[in-house]
Amino acid sequence: MGFSVRRTAGLAIAAAALASPAHASGSRNVQASLVSETTSIQPGRPLQLGLRLRMADGWHTYWKNPADSGLPTKLAWKLPEGFTADDLQWPRPERISAPPLMSYGYNEEVLLPVVVHPPADLPAGQTVRLATRADWLECKEICLPGKAELEITLPVETQASSPSDAAPLFAKTRGLMPTEGDVWRARALSVPRRLVLSFTPSVTPSEAYFFVDQPQVVEYAEPQKLLRTGDGFTLELTPAVNGQTPSRLSGVLVAESGQGPRAIAVDAVVESAAAAPAGTEVVHTRASLWVSLGAAFLGGLLLNLMPCVLPVLSLKVLGFVRQAGETRVWRHGLAFAAGVVLSFWALAGLMLALRAGGERIGWGFQLQSPAFVAILALLFLLIALNLLGVFEIGMSMMGAGNRVQGATGLASSFWSGLLATVVATPCTAPFMGSALGFGLSQPKLQSLLVFTALGLGMSAPYLLLSASPRLLRFVPKPGPWMARFKELLAVPMLATVVFLCWLLGQQTGVDGMAWLLAGFIPVGLGAWVYGRASQAALEGRAHRASMAWAGVLVAAGIALALARGTVPVEAVPGAASPVAGQSLGWEPFSVERRDALLAQGTPVLIDFTASWCLSCQVNERVALSTPAVRAKLREHGVALLKADWTRRDDRITEALASYGRQGVPLYVLYGREKNAPPRLLPEVLTPGIVLSAIDEHLGRSQAAEIRR
Amino acid sequence: MNRNATLRATGLIGALLLVPAAARAQATVGQPAPAFSAPDQTGATRSLDAYKGKWVVLEWVNHECPFVKKHYGSGNMQKTQAAAEAKGAVWLSVNSSAPGKQGAMDGKLATSLTSSKHATPTAVLLDPEGTVGRAYGAKTTPHMFVIDPKGTIVYAGAIDDKPSTDPGDVPGAKNYVLAALDEAMAGKPVSVTSTQPYGCSVKY
Repeated sequence: MGFSVRRTAGLAIAAAALASPAHASGSRNVQASLVSETTSIQPGRPLQLGLRLRMADGWHTYWKNPADSGLPTKLAWKLPEGFTADDLQWPRPERISAPPLMSYGYNEEVLLPVVVHPPADLPAGQTVRLATRADWLECKEICLPGKAELEITLPVETQASSPSDAAPLFAKTRGLMPTEGDVWRARALSVPRRLVLSFTPSVTPSEAYFFVDQPQVVEYAEPQKLLRTGDGFTLELTPAVNGQTPSRLSGVLVAESGQGPRAIAVDAVVESAAAAPAGTEVVHTRASLWVSLGAAFLGGLLLNLMPCVLPVLSLKVLGFVRQAGETRVWRHGLAFAAGVVLSFWALAGLMLALRAGGERIGWGFQLQSPAFVAILALLFLLIALNLLGVFEIGMSMMGAGNRVQGATGLASSFWSGLLATVVATPCTAPFMGSALGFGLSQPKLQSLLVFTALGLGMSAPYLLLSASPRLLRFVPKPGPWMARFKELLAVPMLATVVFLCWLLGQQTGVDGMAWLLAGFIPVGLGAWVYGRASQAALEGRAHRASMAWAGVLVAAGIALALARGTVPVEAVPGAASPVAGQSLGWEPFSVERRDALLAQGTPVLIDFTASWCLSCQVNERVALSTPAVRAKLREHGVALLKADWTRRDDRITEALASYGRQGVPLYVLYGREKNAPPRLLPEVLTPGIVLSAIDEHLGRSQAAEIRR
Repeated sequence: MNRNATLRATGLIGALLLVPAAARAQATVGQPAPAFSAPDQTGATRSLDAYKGKWVVLEWVNHECPFVKKHYGSGNMQKTQAAAEAKGAVWLSVNSSAPGKQGAMDGKLATSLTSSKHATPTAVLLDPEGTVGRAYGAKTTPHMFVIDPKGTIVYAGAIDDKPSTDPGDVPGAKNYVLAALDEAMAGKPVSVTSTQPYGCSVKY
């Protein structure tokens, strides 16, 4: 009896020991465990393991360079014969600041991956026990040494193994590992009293920090100044007080941008230089956020006057005029504002999601797609026809039809807000591209705030009117003038349609534009059929037939426009603005061409533009193409590069980002001095501005030439 | 009443403006050591210029820190103190822990700890405000400085070359403080003038 109990117990213990692949141990503050990415070992194939440290609230462990205080985590392996282990790998660290000291480490949880190499002749079918001793330092206010004896037991199999439960943790950690390779062209310079790390990132950083991994090179607690220079960014580091200038600078560079943090491994030779590259500081302060919020609010207010938005909002005001005298009208104002703000959020959210997915887009991206432009043109055509009275919409979102009596419900106010935003987007790109682009380059919260300010600005007049009945005294009383006014509003609407047709023509050529115009005919016809049918108050079958005809016609028009009108033409470089372009001799922009010209000492003017960017077009015609400016550019021998962003071009998006911009227009003027930072011209150009910029920036270098 | 308050406010603001910003001084090897004046465990004031003409070793201490415990528990710090003083050096242990933080001590605690651990510093300086610590840029406990009779810093950094909390690392470790004292006292250039200090952060 007793004998069999003991045997059963022994078997149970043995089974339990084999079944557990890992066990956690450590202290109350830090739980350590050894985990594997896969469920078995393959002979001769590297095995991905990891040391997982789970830290209690407020406790942290350290990076391979703990900085001012702390100790890096380390492993001491007890491996079976033939096994070797690589060094621990380190995901990007965090700053642990305890002024006047700074440490580098990890909070909450970290997985430190480590690769173990099993021998090729490992026989399959057995289980292998890999053991290690982990030592670390865990600190909150005080520090305690931590250690754990850890092991993991895995079977040896010849066929490929499957992912373990810990595989998602490994995948997430891979995203936190610094990217290897010279992806951002990091260079290190030693200048008096500073160590400068220069880099050309593929995103626009709002903040950056360099975690050096060599001891006694950098004063860890000193702030690192981020500067934007001519062709990239620099980070100024304070050398260690009792350290020496190293021959190489290595570590991890982490940059925060609108797309989240990116970590890049850096290993650069340190060169000496007389002075650090000049640049402007990237200031990430509250002040700049308030400024952009204010600008967004004002921009939203101005949107009310834009040709695409004016009709929609004016109709809303008309409907409001009719509602005057009712109680609780302010609720409609709120519903409208909610519609506007929520749609801006949705739009911003869509943009951010696309960018996080790696798409290189800037504001106005939607207008780079011919299909979108075509659909927008058709939508605006329908709105214009509605305004002209060709047909009325039954549920009358605009609320200005004769059928509407009194309040149309909070929901319809909400939907009008939505419609107003949709209708506003083509107008935001031409005038607000760069401001919104800046908003999008900020971390997500700031972006949302900028778009909220924009939405509030746009809905502000209506909110004001709905909240304050006294202001209604200034709004004219209802009357027949309303119908005339509504019809006249079709004019700015049609103007927008013309603009969109021109834009489509730039993207798909004259033929594409003609197909869009051809699509207008059935759409217009369908709207007319619908309108007549409603007016005639048809019943039953006749009504249904008319609806069907209307639907078919509109659908046919849309299909025609989309199918044949959205085939993009082969990108002809520099052909976007033939009028302004060819006469001046603009070359298509490329980074290589720019660098080649700069290396020769030729001054360069780069024009980042797009067809759908109205202010770009205005600047080109009003400033860049005037005889005086052309003469001056010729006189100084300025090479002209045009970066046409009408259609998606990742290289141009990257080039914009390298100058710290997300949208067009952007004008960059380089002088003759090599490595001097360029001058960025303002977004609204006059001939005077361009001439004085050329004089100041190039006149100087010319004077330098003469002195030499 | 009102004028009084205004005057007081103006005075306060004026005083704040006049108070110099905390000097971001550092102890640079080869440069004069920053002057200081601090009370010791008996209440007497000790200042650096009183030791001109003598070798001085500064040791930042926090008796609750595992790194300091490693050196005191194994007797290493006491041995180093005795060896340095045998050569004629003055040994000043400095405690910069702020009140309420780990390692904070008053004169009574300092005296009893020194005797219970059989340590033999010339004096234990109490620096709860962190003035001396900040003047030297003391980062960790322990953090060591060796100053020559002319008042120049000849070594700044860790006590030895084995950054850990394991007392077993002490016997095989190279003691940078004694090495610097030996070389400098013999008139030879110090081979290792500075290292990255290791330990718990100083609890300012």
